[in-house]
Amino acid sequence: MFQVEQVLVLALALFATGVFGVLVRRDPVVLFISIEMMFNAVNLALVGLARHEGLVLGHALVLFVVAVAAAEVAVGLGIIIALFRARTDMDVDRIDELKG
Amino acid sequence: MNDALFAVFGLGALACAVPAVLARRTLHAALWFVALILCLAAIYGLWGAPLLGALQVMVYAGAVMVLFLFAVMVLDVRGQEREAPVWSVPGAAIAAVLAALVFAVGWAVVRMGPAALAPAAVSGAPDVGDDNVARVARVVFRDYALVFEAVGVLLLTAVVAVMVLAKRDLES
Repeated sequence: MFQVEQVLVLALALFATGVFGVLVRRDPVVLFISIEMMFNAVNLALVGLARHEGLVLGHALVLFVVAVAAAEVAVGLGIIIALFRARTDMDVDRIDELKG
Repeated sequence: MNDALFAVFGLGALACAVPAVLARRTLHAALWFVALILCLAAIYGLWGAPLLGALQVMVYAGAVMVLFLFAVMVLDVRGQEREAPVWSVPGAAIAAVLAALVFAVGWAVVRMGPAALAPAAVSGAPDVGDDNVARVARVVFRDYALVFEAVGVLLLTAVVAVMVLAKRDLES
């Protein structure tokens, strides 16, 4: 029996884990992995709800989310590499060059 | 059968998510994340979304993770493992409380929000399942063709942006 509540609990747990990672880690790459985890939690919820409602629209939405996430990863990692190429310490707390 | 598999892959996804966030070494975090992605792909397959399962493996476990591993390689993150603890104890406690809060609020919305879920709206889920790929294609390429084109433009913009980022030296 398909229980949509179980799915949403799993998605919420993954999302909360990602939030924890974003708040706690200072390594920019792990930070990014946590953000991707939140994306995936939302995708999981969308697929579960599509199954629950019997609509295929959710699948199309997940498709678009994945494409946008891929673009975001490309730009984000490009920025991270550009920022940290000249550094030895990988700590997002030390990126304060944009402070006024 | 499907329920048992969902339990296995769902718990597997959670079991991979925690070390992906907590691993001290960046490379280990990335590899745990790949395992998480594969668990989710299996779940998508179980729920009549084989196209999304395949895309999850190709785009996430393939393309995105290669980008991550490439970043790890270029940045040579080994130096930072010598550093002090990854997080401070009070900071981690506050973050845990906030994450728990996110979970609780989400659960409250699911349970008693205005859009509280009706139990099993459609039994058998006729639209999801057989010929899923054709149905998704119809939605993406006909009903939402404009969005599809916009996503293509977005990806092109991202490619150009990354080229600009890679060219210019931000330090100068």
